[in-house]
Amino acid sequence: MINRCIARTGSRAAFALLAVAPFAFASPALADASINAVYQQQTIRFTHLSSAYGAPAIGVADPGFTKLLKATGALLTWKPGERYVLITTSAPVVVSFALGDRRYDVGPITLQAAFAPFARGVEAYLPLDDVLRSLDLALRRDGAAFVLQPQLAGLDVRQDGSRTTLLAHGAAPLHPRVVRESDGVVTYAFDGVGTTLTGTRQINAGGVRSVQIETSGTVRDPRTLVTVTLAPGAVAEAPREEERDVALAFDGVAPAAPVVAEESPTPEPVPSAQASSGPTLVTGVAMQPSDDGVSVAIAIAGNASYEWHRLRDPDNRFWVDIDGAQLQGPPLDEGAPPPLTALRVRQSDPTTVRIALTLAGSKAVSVEPSATGLEIIVGAQDVADAPRSGGGSVGSVVSEGQPNPVLVTPAPLQPGVPGSSADSTWKFGTRSNYVPTNPRLIVLDPGHGGSDRGTIHGGVAEADLTLDMAKRLRDILIARGWEVKMTRDTDVDVYAPGDSARDELQARVDVANKAGARLFVSIHANAFINSGPYGTTCYVSKPEDVAFARIVEAQLAADGTKDDGIVKSHLYVTLHTRMPAVLVETAFLSNPSDYALLTSAAWRQKVAQEIADGIGQYTREYPVPNQPAQ
Amino acid sequence: MRSPRLPVLIVLLAIVAAGTWYSLSHRAARNGETIAVYYTRQNGTTLGDVRVSMRPRQPGESAAEHLHNTALYAAVEAVAGPPNDVPAIRFPPGTRVLGVSVDGSTVTVDLSKDVERQAGGTFGENGEFKALVYTVTGIPGVDAVSVTVDGARLETLPGGHLELDQPLHRSDW
Repeated sequence: MINRCIARTGSRAAFALLAVAPFAFASPALADASINAVYQQQTIRFTHLSSAYGAPAIGVADPGFTKLLKATGALLTWKPGERYVLITTSAPVVVSFALGDRRYDVGPITLQAAFAPFARGVEAYLPLDDVLRSLDLALRRDGAAFVLQPQLAGLDVRQDGSRTTLLAHGAAPLHPRVVRESDGVVTYAFDGVGTTLTGTRQINAGGVRSVQIETSGTVRDPRTLVTVTLAPGAVAEAPREEERDVALAFDGVAPAAPVVAEESPTPEPVPSAQASSGPTLVTGVAMQPSDDGVSVAIAIAGNASYEWHRLRDPDNRFWVDIDGAQLQGPPLDEGAPPPLTALRVRQSDPTTVRIALTLAGSKAVSVEPSATGLEIIVGAQDVADAPRSGGGSVGSVVSEGQPNPVLVTPAPLQPGVPGSSADSTWKFGTRSNYVPTNPRLIVLDPGHGGSDRGTIHGGVAEADLTLDMAKRLRDILIARGWEVKMTRDTDVDVYAPGDSARDELQARVDVANKAGARLFVSIHANAFINSGPYGTTCYVSKPEDVAFARIVEAQLAADGTKDDGIVKSHLYVTLHTRMPAVLVETAFLSNPSDYALLTSAAWRQKVAQEIADGIGQYTREYPVPNQPAQ
Repeated sequence: MRSPRLPVLIVLLAIVAAGTWYSLSHRAARNGETIAVYYTRQNGTTLGDVRVSMRPRQPGESAAEHLHNTALYAAVEAVAGPPNDVPAIRFPPGTRVLGVSVDGSTVTVDLSKDVERQAGGTFGENGEFKALVYTVTGIPGVDAVSVTVDGARLETLPGGHLELDQPLHRSDW
């Protein structure tokens, strides 16, 4: 699969952009004024406004700012005296500002704000434009009024064989509708959403030839039109909503053509007043480390030729001059991850932008045009006799003053990280020398009860299910000759109604510890915020729990739902009981198929039977000296 | 007569050692350094991670303040979790980090009461705190995480399962 981004701003740009400059959508002058701005039919009054270096600043204690964050689902972390100001967007992405530091971080990416956040009195002030961009919003003037306009912030291309998906992302829930579909062209309208991403991009991947983005409507009622030109024979699927994104998928019949570097045709007229041709701009530089080195993506708006040069080892400098280009924003001088040591971007003369890299050795470097400008790939391996110079040209079409798309590859998710619950990696304290004073006694703990109903789904309370299963288990064990003590055998709190969770859990632990029981089994039903997870899990905390849990888990593996194995955790009841203990999360009430099992008396009887079988097997395999097993 | 060289040598070594210690303990994070933000996958057991940039130490920011700030950032990232399109066990919506404090190698993370709105069951609670502990203890010098809720230490969450009144370590999972 090939992933790339043909257009992106805002919080999700976080995954790609190391911006050379704040983007140049013009914010109205707001210095030290109060304004009302309309956002989603509500008026928000901003009163803590200031400015720095000609750019607007917003105080974090501004009631309007608080209201805006709440309206967008964002959270602020900041206290007077703290240097860091952190905003968690609804994506979620954490946007990290620090007083006195113009750099701000969005996930793995470092950006440059219009100015360094500053303190006035006890209040922190942030660059408003950068904050709004993080929230996928733009402040627009509508006559004398202001509007906080939701933005279509990104349009990613995902290619998988002949299938191409455009993944649209923005501030508001996106509900595109097809407004035109004929002659291999499909136009989608995103109502209520503006964008700064206008222009035409050549894709030539899978079933998609090109994508044109336009805006229409008014400031208060904007509309973004995305027109996709399909390859011959390609078919468009209906838009599909995924979390906060919308997927526009296209099936092509021809193999994918090369993805990038095809010169754009003459763009169609763009109705937006924002769109026009302009000088070639270098609008952003993104660094993306990988296992093989670093990719440096240079976003270029317009057409340009470039030349690159490198010096011989040990003076491992490399630079690209982009001719006829203007650097949008101030120069950049940053450290860089290996195999780079530094990155510099500057306007080296009135018509040339230079991107200079310092390499940590004689590394392999390639320079290739991309869909959005240039991409420099620096490998981790040293090479001999590397070429010393080269050049070429790039061409893309974007609107003047608009942020240019940048190649995006989010940081890879690494599968093999610590913390996997393979029991070979578990670390425990020392094994206790517990000897049961009543080796014929099993303590059963039906989870929750009384004032604590546990999780409730479809009118079914966990507390009732756990009591039912424990009673069934009790009856089986007694029939097999065991003594059984229940922490509760009716719907009550074990300690006291409305007690603290610790008192309640300790009371259950006390039942087992004071009785000197052989084993402790706590029975629960699991739940999650969505219906996805399902299965049976056995939780343990102590080394002596593991063998018992493994046998119980093996018995439960055939209970009809998924076997989620044994999980070590810091659970109160398994941690503080002195005997081998297991907390069995039998199934998920939040999952429809597990719910059907849990609400079946036959299934609950089956689970009770299997746990009883596990207890029997464990006591046979791990006998207490001079005591019979059942 | 005893040579004066030995005391001089000892003084020089002490100066070098002190300088080395100062340099190492005040070393700022370099650009390009990152923190691993762990999340628990929806199988309830294994961890994934995403890497986020770590801000270098700023002028005037002491090593202790930088550790505090980095811990705050890491905790906020862990509570936020990965982007929504990554299947993960997540803290209840609205859960915020109200602040952190550092005492030796233990970071105390103060969470908003929203964390008490658990879905029920061990699954979410276990995955949430495992990810938080793994993320914050990934900071050099930090090996334990204490949790408070709205400034108060809790033995467990209401109706919860995890013991929270003791510092949590990676070895608890």
